[in-house]
Amino acid sequence: MPYAVIRFSVLAVMAIAVLAPLSLVGYQSFLSAPFFDSMARFTLRAYQFVFAESDFWVAFGTTLIVAGGMTVIALPLGAALAFLMVRTDLPGRAWLEPLILIPLFVSAVVLAFGYVVALGPVGIISTWVKGAVGFLPWNIYSLTSLVVIAGLAHVPHVYLYTAAALRGLGSDLEEAARITGANPWQVALGVSLPMVMPSILFAGVLVFFLGFELFGLPLVLGDPQGLLVLTTYLYKLTNKLGVPSYQLMAVVVVVIVAVTAPLVYMQRALLKQAQRYVSVRGKGLKQAPLPLGPWRWLALAAILAWFTVTVVVPIAGITLRSFVVSWGEGVKLLEVLTLDHYAELFDYPNIERGILNTLGIGVFGGALAVLCYTAIALSVHRWQSGWTRVVDYLAMAPRAMPGLVAGLAMLWVFLFFKPLAPLKATLFSVWLAYTVVWLAYGMRLISGTLLQVGPELEESARTIGASPLRTQLDVTVPLIRYGMIASWLLIFLIFVREYSTGVYLLGPGTEVIGSLLVSLWGTGAIDLVSALSVVNVLMIALGLAVALRMGVRLHG
Amino acid sequence: MADLTVKNLGLRLGDNEILRDVSMSVPRGKVVALLGPSGSGKTTLLRAVAGLETPHAGSIKIGERALYDAASGANLPAEKRGLGLVFQSYALWPHRSVFDNVAYGLKLRGISSDERKRRVEAALSQIGLSHLAARYPHQLSGGQQQRVALARALVYEPPVILLDEPLSNLDAKLREEARAWLRQLIVSLDLSALCVTHDQVEAMAIADRIVLLNGGEIEQEGTPAELYEKPRTLFAAEFMGSNNRLAGESAGAGKLKIGDQIIEGAARGEIAPGAPAVGVIRLERVRVSDTPGPNRMKLELKTQMYLGERYELVFALGKSLVRAYAERGLAEGAHYVEFPRDAFWIFPSKR
Repeated sequence: MPYAVIRFSVLAVMAIAVLAPLSLVGYQSFLSAPFFDSMARFTLRAYQFVFAESDFWVAFGTTLIVAGGMTVIALPLGAALAFLMVRTDLPGRAWLEPLILIPLFVSAVVLAFGYVVALGPVGIISTWVKGAVGFLPWNIYSLTSLVVIAGLAHVPHVYLYTAAALRGLGSDLEEAARITGANPWQVALGVSLPMVMPSILFAGVLVFFLGFELFGLPLVLGDPQGLLVLTTYLYKLTNKLGVPSYQLMAVVVVVIVAVTAPLVYMQRALLKQAQRYVSVRGKGLKQAPLPLGPWRWLALAAILAWFTVTVVVPIAGITLRSFVVSWGEGVKLLEVLTLDHYAELFDYPNIERGILNTLGIGVFGGALAVLCYTAIALSVHRWQSGWTRVVDYLAMAPRAMPGLVAGLAMLWVFLFFKPLAPLKATLFSVWLAYTVVWLAYGMRLISGTLLQVGPELEESARTIGASPLRTQLDVTVPLIRYGMIASWLLIFLIFVREYSTGVYLLGPGTEVIGSLLVSLWGTGAIDLVSALSVVNVLMIALGLAVALRMGVRLHG
Repeated sequence: MADLTVKNLGLRLGDNEILRDVSMSVPRGKVVALLGPSGSGKTTLLRAVAGLETPHAGSIKIGERALYDAASGANLPAEKRGLGLVFQSYALWPHRSVFDNVAYGLKLRGISSDERKRRVEAALSQIGLSHLAARYPHQLSGGQQQRVALARALVYEPPVILLDEPLSNLDAKLREEARAWLRQLIVSLDLSALCVTHDQVEAMAIADRIVLLNGGEIEQEGTPAELYEKPRTLFAAEFMGSNNRLAGESAGAGKLKIGDQIIEGAARGEIAPGAPAVGVIRLERVRVSDTPGPNRMKLELKTQMYLGERYELVFALGKSLVRAYAERGLAEGAHYVEFPRDAFWIFPSKR
């Protein structure tokens, strides 16, 4: 088969997988009824209806506040953290690095449950604090808590990009400033900071964008107070009206995508800007760390405090909760300890299936997804053509859909294309949705690996007579083998953590831990939720341990 | 302005001794080149002077002011040394315009903005780039960037400027022009400069004195002419210029036995008769003749190459080759190749 045909087929499959759900949503938003209804016709009524809803505008406003607020919190903290970690003599930098990245890999719903059981009105820490000071100085179910928690949880995102930029700065630029007469702090403020500014800006847009995607935290922390953001508004819309109001949901999706798509585009432009200053140079990589003096202990304490609030409190809370019969004021820990909740998990066949499915989708689905990403990346690898730009944009497009929205769109695809209908109730539907949602991330992982393959290695294979396909199979793929395995581990972590994408696809046979958690939370089964959350955290911990042991870089 | 003196400097990176007992100086108003193969420690020495590497022994002083002194424990940080350094990569700050790149050093020294403007403009006009002050580094050509880097290092009038392979990022044609320009600028501004290079031609062109480094130690120091014409060691002889190397054994002082023939030359170092020795002669000093004579060997012409301004001839001597230059091409067959006595250096050989 000629190479062009293979390339075309791979890219066509990808284009369909990306465009079908998006265009179906767009199409649905202009209909008067669900697309399978024979009475459906084109109209703008759905838009008029949604835009007339005050709840919608409130949700929109809340989303802006949450996204803006968490950006304002995460940005300075993340940038300061990166500076402390990369440029100073902060103690314990080596073991802090993986800790800082943990929030990236813990499911937001699990964190949210953790906060409720630890800091909620009758939470484990709350009862203790109330006992000590007589009242509870915080309310976990409030906009402020939501913004603060979301902000703290996104510090690692800002950290990642700022730290990478700081590490990428050619040290000669800083040495030049030292020679010119600037002391280390003047170098940091006058040279390093302005040069990583584009990266910080990029991280800011990213965090703001992630604010629009937020689902688990507002669902758990905001919903009880009637506090809705766009994603939870969409989720509620499903349950609110008896009849399936697909057209209204489609409109909300269109609005969300209309906001996020430009943000994704902006990120792309900013990333390019940011990379302009990054130069990997061989010489003089050792930068003398800035001495913080006694301040370094204060800095360490601040980082540990952040880590405690962001990771330890919720994870410890949910873990403790999973081992007790019940919790409330006056309960003595030793009297209520139990393992029953874990045994109970296996009383429910759907939960048992969900655990197995999650492992399966992580291990096998992850591997399959990496193969797909590799096929796509290879088909545009060293392709001198304007089409690579198109492929680039296509790969980015699903990023504009929050997981919840992508899951919904994928569900519609399975309903709309009749031949696909039998697959709807299988794990394939969930795998496809996951794979499409994480397309941009996966592509970035694989492309990053491909960039390290010297063109001359492939060119020499071509000159001695290997076809393009042969060259890729015999030279390129073996060379990126390690990168593919690393990507597999990262995709495993992400697929196991994922919760929002599976929500609309949840049904008998398609259960995964993430979507089960969301639906169980709705029923108030806190015992099961906490035990299942711990199972999820353990899976991720195991994957993280393997990844760290293998020396996988935790960021693409 | 005072001399830069380096005394008995020792520097380790990990377990590697990078510099051993290095002593040298840059007299006022002179250009000194640090020359050597890669790994000889020349860049490390420059960075140690700049304060970017920390030695463990010896001292670095400017006049009486100690930049580093192992004995007294003095070790000024880079920014307190007040030197200028032109990086190999130029290291221009991409977020600052040409003007701001050059002005930064003055700003750090608390120079008022009027004075700053005047001095930056003066520096830029010296390097002929006044019209590009508002540009950003990425909008400049390599040659222009190199000039800006130089202006940035000069503008606050450091006692010594340090240049790390300043010309290596320019392409060949531009490099020869820049070399002449750089030398002329340094001399006309009466600057003291320490310049690292691995290119012997560049070193000879730019410098008043050359310090030849080998394996972290100084092999020889002197004027370019001294290094080229009176190398003291085999390494120095072979590092400078293009050479023939003829292995043989000593046949008494100033005599080298190659095969069954004896060539007379200038003895460099003590060699016992019968001990292995090496004869070194620069290509341009080899002569070709049609008749036999003293110090001539009859050698077969293997090939000849036309290089434009001359021919390069290649003769066979046993298994090795002897190369020579000639103005005209030669006929095939054997010729008499002469090694003039004063140009044929005989060094002891380890083997």
